[in-house]
Amino acid sequence: MSDPFSRLGGSTARRLSRLGALARFGFGALRSLGTLPAAGRAVALRVTLNQIRFTATDAIGLVVLLSGILSFLVISQAVRELGQLGATDFIGTLIVVAIVRELGPLITALTVAGRSGTAIAAELATNRVLGEVRALEAMGIDPRQYLVLPRFFGSLVSVFVLLVVFDIVAVSAGFAAARFNGMVAGRYVEIVLQALALKDVWLTVAKAVTFGVIVGIVPAYYGLAVRGAPTEIPIATSRATVTSIVGIFLCSALFVVIG
Amino acid sequence: MTTPLAIEGVPLGGSGREGGGRRDAAPLTLAVPAHEAVALLGDEESGLGQVEGPRANQGGVLSQAVPRHVVGAMAFLPDQGEQGLERPPAGRVTVFDTIIADLPERERLAFRRRVGYLPASDGLLQNLSLRNNVALPLRFGSEASPRDIEGRVNVMLVAARVTGAAGLRPAQASEEECRRAAFARALAFDPALLILEQPFDALTARTSAELLELARGGETAEGARRTILIIGQELPAGLLRRVERVYRVTRAGALEREAV
Repeated sequence: MSDPFSRLGGSTARRLSRLGALARFGFGALRSLGTLPAAGRAVALRVTLNQIRFTATDAIGLVVLLSGILSFLVISQAVRELGQLGATDFIGTLIVVAIVRELGPLITALTVAGRSGTAIAAELATNRVLGEVRALEAMGIDPRQYLVLPRFFGSLVSVFVLLVVFDIVAVSAGFAAARFNGMVAGRYVEIVLQALALKDVWLTVAKAVTFGVIVGIVPAYYGLAVRGAPTEIPIATSRATVTSIVGIFLCSALFVVIG
Repeated sequence: MTTPLAIEGVPLGGSGREGGGRRDAAPLTLAVPAHEAVALLGDEESGLGQVEGPRANQGGVLSQAVPRHVVGAMAFLPDQGEQGLERPPAGRVTVFDTIIADLPERERLAFRRRVGYLPASDGLLQNLSLRNNVALPLRFGSEASPRDIEGRVNVMLVAARVTGAAGLRPAQASEEECRRAAFARALAFDPALLILEQPFDALTARTSAELLELARGGETAEGARRTILIIGQELPAGLLRRVERVYRVTRAGALEREAV
């Protein structure tokens, strides 16, 4: 029986190895963009647009709902509590830093990972199990170009678009909450604009891109990693979701450190 | 004259992973002459390998090892080869006297169009209609205009007699319709060499004969017929007359030629 340190080392080595394989998979997929035939671009673009429809368009309602409720609740409470202390100026910081910069990207990415990441992993795993991936290769179609890249770019665009939607709705719902609790409209706009800095914008964009990459690549990796048994599909889906969520939280923490 | 397909010393047991067949089977050496249909038959115990994927639980037996190694030289995902395509662990496979794996990627891509491949599970994409499945390799890999591609797809659908079901997705179509569409797709580029894996399972003798004729390219002048390698457990009796050579891999791993 191995000692705890050996087990810990083995487990860490396995995780690092998986991370390396994930990175190789991601770079390999991006590199395959260079060999995408001209005719294949139109096909890949159509698949990408379909992916954006499923991932972004169909998720707008959910994001609006989550963003609206979250922002309304937080700002309502903040106006009441901070109003008693005479510190309503901090509502601007709260909406910009807490909601737009931190919670916005996090909740948007988690929504896409939960809603579309699982679908991507399950779909690609099914493609694998049904022999569709092998058939694609035999037809001269690189599965990375036909299956992975469209989902990658679809997720990237979708996370960005949904984040913009989230932030617009969050600020609007915050405005409604502030007005509902007696704050003057001009005052709300003034403190939000005061709190907004260029750094918030680029940090939000950087997060959208990073989370988009995670949500686009991780499920595709786990989906295509199944070896052929249908029972592996739920396992791959579960692993993809858990890894995506952990990755999103770790990167979010990293952004706090570097930001 | 070039040999469309030559397999030299390729172990039938795959690369030793689970499901790869016998470990003690003799390496396979086989040449498929131009314009001939060759059947390579053998049961699970013969070492040709066993079925993987969705048919694994249906008691089917499939000769995965050979097509894996033949078409595997064209694999895009070599590090995930358990279910995907892989290169032979030993020996060599040449297609038109060329080792495909040695070609630069762009040339390899062009080479693929000369080889049609019908996997045992059809490999039709479930989220596309049968028509779009047939069109996919043409749309992705040919420089033809959309109009020409549609024309070619229509021709293939008519030839495979699956026009009526062309708008259906694989899950909505019958097994025979799916197989017809898979044949149409494998032939979409009019390949010089066609590799068929368990192509006639669950089909009637008449449909099998019809599809084999479609694959061969019809009754034309000598030399015009397509080279075909059929791999499977058995060939329907009615089809034995329609192929030039039948080889059987015995349980001992030897390759025996049967009279046809």
